[in-house]
Amino acid sequence: MNNEMTLSFVAIEENEALARMTMTCFITPLDPTIEELSEFKTIVSEAVTNAIIHGYDCDGIRKVTIHGKIEDSKVTMTVSDEGNGIFDVDQAMEPMFTTKPLLERSGMGFTIMESFADNLSVESAIGQGTVVRFEKTFSPVTEKSRMR
Amino acid sequence: MTDIAITKNGIIVVALRGELGNHEANRIRTQISSEIFSGKVHGVIWDLTHLGFMDSSGIGLILGRMRDLAPQNGETLILNPSATMEKIFQFSGLGTVVRHCNVEKAIGEIGGVLHEQ
Repeated sequence: MNNEMTLSFVAIEENEALARMTMTCFITPLDPTIEELSEFKTIVSEAVTNAIIHGYDCDGIRKVTIHGKIEDSKVTMTVSDEGNGIFDVDQAMEPMFTTKPLLERSGMGFTIMESFADNLSVESAIGQGTVVRFEKTFSPVTEKSRMR
Repeated sequence: MTDIAITKNGIIVVALRGELGNHEANRIRTQISSEIFSGKVHGVIWDLTHLGFMDSSGIGLILGRMRDLAPQNGETLILNPSATMEKIFQFSGLGTVVRHCNVEKAIGEIGGVLHEQ
């Protein structure tokens, strides 16, 4: 199955759940396992939360954009913001590194995203924003689901 | 969404339901912290049996409460996370406090008595 979508929303915390729910619905036709689905949902949640909190400081004005594309059993997604940007991407991707310890951010977001996604990449420029791109391939169609 | 119970001997049992992301963590953080600071709490049990989703915000929430508990040498246990959540706990060094058992057994492990007669 092939499909493509774009979702855009202002940077408020409430939209984290919106993004998780929408992207979960988007990939449901691929018939993912429960674990694949929850790993995918976690990647979405981490990337979107980063854009809202770190990209835009929850300003409620500027917009986070998610683009999703399904080609057969592979999903390609980008989460983009035009906000603060990341000073040092390599440092940001180190486990436990966070610029917001007072908000109890664990610094594990990128570690989790890298573990659960295929081919995660991050492009960022100070004052221009950040684009997180990843792929995730879901398990091949089973006999049972092929018969539906 | 969150049930917080305290045993007579000072163990907080936090039963989480639904989804735990950044927004939800921010809403329950102060509630749990104030319970920890209110009295002689010496342990927190996070019951994730009915939690459907958690991201790294859950790690921040639990590590933060472990810091709150540190002055009392309080203990922490995490019960029955999903397979995906358990991976997240392992990445974060919290794998050693994950248990797959019921609340009563977990209370027993950190030295409590569930029903004092």
